[in-house]
Amino acid sequence: MSSVLYQSVVKNYGALNVLRSLDLAVPDHMFLALLGPSGCGKTTALRILAGLDMPSAGKLFIGERDVTRLQPRDRDIAMVFQSYALYPQMTVGENIGYPLWIRGMPDAERRAKIDEVAAVLEIGHLLDRRPRQLSGGQRQRVALARAIVRDPAAFLMDEPLSNLDARLRLTMRGEIKRLCQRLGATTLYVTHDQVEALTMADFVAVMHGGELQQMAPPADIYDRPANRFVATFVGNPPMNILPVTLAEQGIAIGGTPVAIPAARLAACRAAQVVEIGLRPEDMSVSVPGAPNALPGEIYVVEPMGNETLVNVRLGGGNVSVRAGRDFRGAVGANIAVTFDVSNACFFNSAGLTAVHRVNSDGE
Amino acid sequence: MANSGTQSRKYRLQGAGLDLALPYLMLAPGLLIVLGVLVYPLWDGLRASTKVYRYGSVVADVGMQNYIKLWSDPQFLNSLWVTVEFVALSVTFEAILGFALALFCLREFRGIRLLRTILIIPMVITPVVVAIVFRLIYASDAGMLTAISEWMGGGQVQILGSPVKAFIGLVVLDVWEWTPLMFLILLAGLQSLPHEPFEAARVDGAGNWRVFADLTFPMMRPVLAIAIVLRTIDAFGTFDQVFVLTRGGPGEATRLVSIYGYDTAFKFQQTGYAAALFVTIGLVVLALAFSAVRLLRRVDAS
Repeated sequence: MSSVLYQSVVKNYGALNVLRSLDLAVPDHMFLALLGPSGCGKTTALRILAGLDMPSAGKLFIGERDVTRLQPRDRDIAMVFQSYALYPQMTVGENIGYPLWIRGMPDAERRAKIDEVAAVLEIGHLLDRRPRQLSGGQRQRVALARAIVRDPAAFLMDEPLSNLDARLRLTMRGEIKRLCQRLGATTLYVTHDQVEALTMADFVAVMHGGELQQMAPPADIYDRPANRFVATFVGNPPMNILPVTLAEQGIAIGGTPVAIPAARLAACRAAQVVEIGLRPEDMSVSVPGAPNALPGEIYVVEPMGNETLVNVRLGGGNVSVRAGRDFRGAVGANIAVTFDVSNACFFNSAGLTAVHRVNSDGE
Repeated sequence: MANSGTQSRKYRLQGAGLDLALPYLMLAPGLLIVLGVLVYPLWDGLRASTKVYRYGSVVADVGMQNYIKLWSDPQFLNSLWVTVEFVALSVTFEAILGFALALFCLREFRGIRLLRTILIIPMVITPVVVAIVFRLIYASDAGMLTAISEWMGGGQVQILGSPVKAFIGLVVLDVWEWTPLMFLILLAGLQSLPHEPFEAARVDGAGNWRVFADLTFPMMRPVLAIAIVLRTIDAFGTFDQVFVLTRGGPGEATRLVSIYGYDTAFKFQQTGYAAALFVTIGLVVLALAFSAVRLLRRVDAS
């Protein structure tokens, strides 16, 4: 296993900038998720590391080696593709053994290795089948087996779960995480699914428009987003953003004054914040007229089983609020929303997070 | 809702008779044409193959005698052998060249579209015209090859006068004309292959040769087999190029079964015997195609 380093990597397709100077350091043994909407450059970043695409500028290192100009086969990596990319004419066993066979590993040793990996992924009974005789989940396991059969410097996974149905995706998510933890493998995992990124990765790198927005552990990505994009992309439903105005005594949201501790107010004023961000679970529904409550009316109520999502129309815009499972309310009814301002973060006019939420450890 | 439901059912009942007959009515013209130009001639040919003709009229009914006679006719056996040699050589070269060109043209570079178009031109030229052009190239007195040879200080080039060279010349013509068909089919096949397995193989450590041997070729085998079967069936019936280029000569060097059959029918007026010959060839080609398809299926299933 090795570390991976992107050094000012740029990729242009003609006039289109897919990657604008990506710098990314992935330490040894880390599971890094590259998260972003489609077209953000995450898959391009992965393909450049694999050597399937060449960077327009910049350098790539795997361990101490500069691999920028190396052929894919000389980079010592293993890759799992979105479409599994199994070899259709070969049996499952031949598929898994191919990376070993091509390196000239003796038959007996290779067979032992195939059996070992197949046992780990519980596909030992499928070794003589052809890929087209397998279900999606089984193909996924074969693709994983083919990747882990060697001991490469890094694993690259390009949306490996997105072709599976929802239930299978859930199972495989846990299994891949377990597998990678067991192998202690340096892994780059591309996904557009924030739940996958947050649940599986040690670190999440959020990308947007060909640029790295933030790289941090999942909890920090969620609690301390670096900017407005990360705040709204991660979280379901996304973080509520409301315009905020600064006054002498405190802040006002949609014309309603809200009390705020003096230190926090000073920080907001210094940073000239323009928006407040609040997670749905950090807000609660209340009755109109309560202190520090923002008045509004119910826009839509969505019972989820374990909780109820209440969408409330406020003066400054709509917000989603997580309420208890027994919440009842009629559309159009007057309601109020309360929150603890220490859980809020504030954005400046450039969309960067100027004031973070106060952590539970009392920062 | 209920109202519109009953209404549509009523329309359906009214149209039931027409609905049943309509497919047959629409098939009828095509069916009649097929019967007239395919089924009847075939049946007539089969009937003719059991008879002996003289000056266009039946003089005897000989049953299977024509078919039996074929297998002790040295001229037929020779023409069959020449045909098999011709087909085997031409199709092999066409497959190899076509595959190589298709692999080359799979890449994207400047002018590739123009190149692909140029490459398929031979196929769309009328075979007779191709044969006339090759005749001009091969001609020993004023042909292109002779001109080149004389320019380089050599003498006349004899192609069509020598049995071996004439045969090779014929194969060259066929390869020139029909490699584009192979190229076209194989290029389409290559373009339809999924590209992820190829990327996976590169990451897994395969070089260009291993990618070809382990992925491209195995994945292309069904397409290649179909292209070869199609071309083989077609090559068995080659007539016009030979007719223009050599008429089967010199001697019997390029006399394919099609030429021998033509001579039998129209030069020697042995209509019944020629019919038996062509029915036999038809059956041989049919058997060939069937076994090829079966082989293909077995390879595919294993």
